Amino acid sequence: MAQRKRESGGSASELTRLSLLTAMALIIFIVEQQVPFPLPIPGAKLGLANIITVYAVNRCRSGGVLLLVLARIFLGSLFGGAFLSPAMIFSLAGGLLCLAGMLPLRKILDEKHIWLGSIFGAVLHNTGQIIAAVFVMKTAAVIGYYPFLLVIGCIAGAFTGLTAQIIINRLK
Amino acid sequence: MNKKKAQTALMIAAAAIFAAAAAVSVYQLRRTKPNTVKIISDGKVLYTLDLSRESDREIIVEYEGRRNVIVIENHDIYVREADCPDHTCIKMGKLSQSSTQIVCLPNKLMIRRAYSSEESGTDGTA
Ligand SMILES: [Zn+2]
Repeated sequence: MAQRKRESGGSASELTRLSLLTAMALIIFIVEQQVPFPLPIPGAKLGLANIITVYAVNRCRSGGVLLLVLARIFLGSLFGGAFLSPAMIFSLAGGLLCLAGMLPLRKILDEKHIWLGSIFGAVLHNTGQIIAAVFVMKTAAVIGYYPFLLVIGCIAGAFTGLTAQIIINRLK
Repeated sequence: MNKKKAQTALMIAAAAIFAAAAAVSVYQLRRTKPNTVKIISDGKVLYTLDLSRESDREIIVEYEGRRNVIVIENHDIYVREADCPDHTCIKMGKLSQSSTQIVCLPNKLMIRRAYSSEESGTDGTA
């Protein structure tokens, strides 16, 4: 069977695609920041920008995806006035751990199971957030939020992953 | 096929993580809550309060010039004002109704119940 194609073509076209994806991820990220999440749990959100990340994971090379995620986190917190704040450190730790799981998983998962990779991405994102929070808050007590974040993360990850999966399969 | 097996295993793993997280969440929400509450700022315990004995008052905690105004009222505790950008700590409302603890991440503030299993002597303020 043919693998999902991951264009390795011209670096200029790859760069254009990445900047477009970054712009989209940023817009989603910033709009989502304006809409408060209904549950008062710090760090909990739908993470709609993850749709773009999952798309990129399945369509771009690893280096490109890493660039995309880093750009979204740095520019997103710069625009949101949270540059170098704890929130940015949590995003960074979560985002990197999430990629460390989703990038290898794309080799195992076929185009009907992209949502599954997204769930693991979300779980790893929450794990990274909590580890960073333990260090920033200087107390292990924040681990109390971990199970709540995981429940929300699994649901949100499945939702954003399924959305990305539908887009990826339509744009074949 | 090997790939199919791996996918099934991953699906079971995801379901297990979700079920375990949900179970622990429910347990945390339902276990009996002690009256003793700790106010922790930047990893240091500033106050240890027995809410059942506290009378109504206000506590102001500062971290790097940013303030959180904590209110003790009717043996309950909440954050009324805060300089943080997200105000999650205020939205979390009273501790009695909060999931586990009140946290202000930007100001590194935390108001949590002292569960006896975690009462190791490392942070004892009499
Ligand atoms: Zn706050």
